[in-house]
Amino acid sequence: MKRIAKEPFLAVVMLFIISCLFLFVIYPIVRVFLYPSGKELITVLSHPRYIKAIFNSLFMVVLSTSSSAFVGFVFAYTIARTDVPLRKYFKLISLLPLFSPPFMVAFSYIMMFGKNGIITAKLLGLSVNIFGWHGLWLAQTIAFFPIAALMMEGVLQSIPPSLEYAGRNLGATGFTLFKTITFPLARPGVAGAALLVSIQVLADFGNPIMISGDFSVVATEAWMRIEGWADVSGAAILSLVLLVPSFSIFLFQRLWVGKKSYVTITGKSTQIDIRRIGSFMRWFLFAFCSVFSLLILLVYLALFMGAFVNGWGFDWTPTLRYVREIFSRSTEVTNSLVFSLLAGGGSALFSMVAAYLVSRKKFFLRRFVDFTCILPTALPGIFLGIGYSIAFTRPPVDLHGTAAIIILSLMFWNIAMGYQTGIGAFQQISPSFHEAASNLGASSMRIFKEIEIPLIKGPFFSAFIVSFIRAITTLSVIVFLATSKNVVATFSIMNLVSDGFYGKAAALTCSLLIIAFLVLGIAKLALGKRFELFKV
Amino acid sequence: MAMNEIHLRIENVHKTFGKTKALDSVSLDIARGSFTTFLGPSGCGKTTLLRMIAGFYEVEHGNLYMGDRLINDVPSHLRNAVMVFQDYALFPHMTIRENITYGLRIQKMTREDIEKRLQKTIGYLGIEALLDRTPGQISGGQQQRVALARALVMEPEILLLDEPLSNLDAKLRINIRAELRQLQRRLKITTIYVTHDQAEALSLSDRIAVMNEGKIVQYGSPFEIYYRPRNTFVASFVGIVNLMKGKVASSSSRTILVSVGGEPVLVVPADKEAERTYKPGDDITLCVRPETIRLESALRGQGNGENVFRGRVVNSIFEGSSVRYWIESLGMEFIVDIFDPGNEELNNKDVSFRINPERIHILPT
Repeated sequence: MKRIAKEPFLAVVMLFIISCLFLFVIYPIVRVFLYPSGKELITVLSHPRYIKAIFNSLFMVVLSTSSSAFVGFVFAYTIARTDVPLRKYFKLISLLPLFSPPFMVAFSYIMMFGKNGIITAKLLGLSVNIFGWHGLWLAQTIAFFPIAALMMEGVLQSIPPSLEYAGRNLGATGFTLFKTITFPLARPGVAGAALLVSIQVLADFGNPIMISGDFSVVATEAWMRIEGWADVSGAAILSLVLLVPSFSIFLFQRLWVGKKSYVTITGKSTQIDIRRIGSFMRWFLFAFCSVFSLLILLVYLALFMGAFVNGWGFDWTPTLRYVREIFSRSTEVTNSLVFSLLAGGGSALFSMVAAYLVSRKKFFLRRFVDFTCILPTALPGIFLGIGYSIAFTRPPVDLHGTAAIIILSLMFWNIAMGYQTGIGAFQQISPSFHEAASNLGASSMRIFKEIEIPLIKGPFFSAFIVSFIRAITTLSVIVFLATSKNVVATFSIMNLVSDGFYGKAAALTCSLLIIAFLVLGIAKLALGKRFELFKV
Repeated sequence: MAMNEIHLRIENVHKTFGKTKALDSVSLDIARGSFTTFLGPSGCGKTTLLRMIAGFYEVEHGNLYMGDRLINDVPSHLRNAVMVFQDYALFPHMTIRENITYGLRIQKMTREDIEKRLQKTIGYLGIEALLDRTPGQISGGQQQRVALARALVMEPEILLLDEPLSNLDAKLRINIRAELRQLQRRLKITTIYVTHDQAEALSLSDRIAVMNEGKIVQYGSPFEIYYRPRNTFVASFVGIVNLMKGKVASSSSRTILVSVGGEPVLVVPADKEAERTYKPGDDITLCVRPETIRLESALRGQGNGENVFRGRVVNSIFEGSSVRYWIESLGMEFIVDIFDPGNEELNNKDVSFRINPERIHILPT
């Protein structure tokens, strides 16, 4: 404390960070907990409609998590450990959904495989009803396996190659090697990845709102409560129902699985020399990855086609009117862009400063800052949205319909990613730089400015890009906060899809995609190798 | 030891990684039951060669024979060449017992046979108490023994060791080094050892292959490597050396007189043919080990034909069993190790020292 008193600027920054976390993370959570009365809680939770929704949500979590984890693992294994042809392209394609709105998959599959779907109805002449749990299952699998694949690839790559060499040298080949060495070593990491995916499936709002039809899940029911009945209490209760398992899985993952992972015992490692695998396995993996890569590419294909077709399903004449409409009346797109730039920048800056303080300074509430910065990972977007709506759309703080409420919610929803990247970066920067500078007489601020900032530029921009993309593509967080005054693109897309205006919705989605990939491309060009996309 | 029978023949082997040549036409014969060390700086190709023998890297060009059998395309586990890894590569998800018996279990050996082999192997290494622990719960030295046990239990024809001692502290390293050599002599397993530590190579090996930039620079006994290096690389990589550049002044049937820094240095070469090889006026490099130089008790002149020279001590360090002096003489700086030195402080003083003409090695040009 004495040292902090000597550096008043540092003290002000700390105070600012701590107050922000209290106000914009803790306070909304507390408000959701306190909003409904006990009686309301019992009424809602005993209502058969919501019991069914809870059951449905659990069902989807189990189903979609298993399938995403499985497909993700096959992709990861193919990419990291085999010589299957085109595996580099499989990886590239599987990265695409990470930079796209999550609901896009459901939307596109409606156009592709729905009643008027170009594949089911037009090409095959079938009458398929994609709305329901099966459509949702497909959409969620495609939407969430890429993140599973990315995490699991990291897990496989962290297995020291010498362990697999040793296994081979002692006689384990092919599947035996996989069964006795590779898979057991990857298991804790794979389980961890699956748990993180399950949080996302549970919190998924965009896919079920579009494709699940009468099959209601908790996230969509919460939205209906407000949209249909203006019942904030009911929505709060349902969002709490989402929060509890999500937060438990989050804690379990951090405390238990995190510790169980195997660490390299000693020594340096060499890159593993990839062996030819059996030709049956090779073609099986190739076919498997091809099918799922195709399913991803179809998503984009349908969207781009949809943007240029007059009336999807009945009038296939090409048109530019939707594209023109976006350019002429593009409030949503402009809003999305401006809000997300601000939220992304704010989030990256805030999380880097917080990461700096936590990793370099000892202060009161340090552990609180650490915990609260990671906490948003465990908050379903729906929950945070309801929290902000309860906390900040009525006196004393009324930000109803403002840009500020959207920007703040997106900013704080995304601090966890940037914060973890930042902590990782600061851990890599040896404290001895810091000690050397301080030994030579530099103040904390100076050290931060002259030593740390140049070293964390890369992580900062990565955090900015990831936050920006998540902000511009999210629907769940802003669905309770957007009004006609501060409307953003994802919100419009949802309304357009539910009203059946697929053309404009597709054009809007494409514009989001183009923005996201442009920003990504610029970042990649500007930062090159220092650009780290996801810290998992 | 049947040192004559060739157990492993490496014939003109090449390996490239991308654009770098990791192995460049390497040929080597390794005798059955011998302890052979691949010695060289990092990146010299020694580990690549070892991994190629283990079957982890494909042979791009050239041949590998085990006995008479060509093993280029034989998979790793059918070569019966078992490797101990630098990082030990103990499977963290298995107990020590499971680790050691892993290879036997893969072979579907019966439970009794596995137990018999296990008991025999752990008897050599004194790790009976560790069997039910996991690799994370035992010390580095114990991990090292377990890794060795996991290889030995396979009763390999060839044992491959990839810098197995580099992760141990200095004292333990010397103990295990001695144990390893004793065990190898007892079991008579053909052993190939990779290290960058010249002291380890000299003390363990029957034969050393010194490698640099993907090539074998010299292959010979530790004595040959140390006292008769083939070039300046081997001379300076293995131990400390004084390299004297000079011109041949005259040569007779048994001796050569070399002019170094204007002074005549007498050399009695081990090679009896030297007279024919070196002609007056030739540039040659002489190689003298620091411990073969003696300080004279009294200050004497030089140029007396006894290889006694004068110089000034410019620096010294005390190393316990010896003192190392840096002496300026003959236009260069000599490093001289003196065992059992007196109390006298020699820094900045003039001294006389003698170089035994029979201990001077002429580097072939």
